[in-house]
Amino acid sequence: MSTHTASTRDILTSPIFANNPVAMQVLGVCSALAVSNSMKTALVMTLAVTFVLVFSNLIISSIRRLIPNSVRIIAQMTVIASLVIIVDMVLQDVAYELSRQLSVFVGLIITNCIIMGRAEAFAMKNPPHLAVVDALGNAMGYGVILLGVAFVRELLGSGNLFGYEILPTVENGGWYLANEMFKLPPSAFFLIGLMIWSINVIQRKRG
Amino acid sequence: MAFKKDTIVGTMIFTVTLCLLCSFMITGTAELLKERKLVKKRDELQRYVLMAADVDMSGDKDFREIFKTSVIPMLVELDTGVVSTEGNVMDFDDRMAAINPETSIKPKKDTARIKSRANQVRVFKVLDDKGELASLVVPVYGKGLWSMLYGFVAVKPDMNTIENLVIYEHGETPGIGDFLNDPEWTDKFRDKQIFDEKGKVAIKVVKGGAKEGDIHGIDAVSGATMTGRGLQRSIQFWFGNEGYQTFFNKLKASEV
Repeated sequence: MSTHTASTRDILTSPIFANNPVAMQVLGVCSALAVSNSMKTALVMTLAVTFVLVFSNLIISSIRRLIPNSVRIIAQMTVIASLVIIVDMVLQDVAYELSRQLSVFVGLIITNCIIMGRAEAFAMKNPPHLAVVDALGNAMGYGVILLGVAFVRELLGSGNLFGYEILPTVENGGWYLANEMFKLPPSAFFLIGLMIWSINVIQRKRG
Repeated sequence: MAFKKDTIVGTMIFTVTLCLLCSFMITGTAELLKERKLVKKRDELQRYVLMAADVDMSGDKDFREIFKTSVIPMLVELDTGVVSTEGNVMDFDDRMAAINPETSIKPKKDTARIKSRANQVRVFKVLDDKGELASLVVPVYGKGLWSMLYGFVAVKPDMNTIENLVIYEHGETPGIGDFLNDPEWTDKFRDKQIFDEKGKVAIKVVKGGAKEGDIHGIDAVSGATMTGRGLQRSIQFWFGNEGYQTFFNKLKASEV
């Protein structure tokens, strides 16, 4: 029993740092680059991905014994795509402006490799409760990177966090000269690169 | 009988069932959100109409209140100019009416490139504080370069001078077509006259910039020739004899 609980915790925590889907497996980088220019979009994106990931893992894991081998990828895609459509509809309803900012990237959750990867690699082989835990762990891993990058980008790019002014910019009569580069997607490349590097260094020291 | 998932029949049954379940999931969500979407659509419509008519919305009065007290939505039969305010005018589905062959016609001279035009169009009378006509807001739409441009034109009571123009939906080239939403550009339409002395639609988008004092010309935006031309032709169509001309003549005859 003790090994079981330990493994559950492992499933939850290992994807956050040690086996982070973005930093270690370099999955889902496309959306991480695109929507990480502000905390708000990053948070909404993380929530959307969490929802899709948890439910796709749950559904796929509970029907895993029924899924015919020859169509399993298509079956996973069907479930994921339906969930993404639902997220998109709900998002357009509750936060229309935000959904416009996220534009295609909500739809592109379908092709986010993290979700597909977890469905194929984990949900197909494990019972639903473990699959949900795994989904939560991976979503958190994705969220940590996304919010971390967005934190730096929004703070240095526009002096704000969640739209609230932290560093008063020169434009608004303050002292901070906003660094426009952080508003552009390439900056996320550097930031994610730095994150991958630092996580690697820490890992190696431990191991 | 056990379910044999890897046989052809098993695969078929599984796929069909999964697809059905997924589609129910989606339609269920859509159904739940339908009512809220309708309300939102109505709100949006009200806001754009008020925006086009230059009604001040900055006060703490709710725009729905303002709309209710100062705007009269009505349906106009374009070919005859007959007006009706009966029924649920706000929920009139103008897009559906424009494509349904029973409620639309094919325009003879389709300058707006809309292919089919609805027989009935929803217009809005906007009243001022004294209850007199301040402006008439009419929808205008037509094809730009890539997409349909949808907008409202507010016309002053002389049925000739433009009060304001609002484009609320378009899918033109991002960045280049954005001027359609920019008040700096749409403000150029203010106080321009739609018709010339002969009663023909004279408003046009002028490349190289309209001359000083040109009461019909609006500066074109370079790099967006087709978008500007599309908008110009749409306005020409909608204020022409297959658009609001009959209705306007009737209004002028009865009120002025």
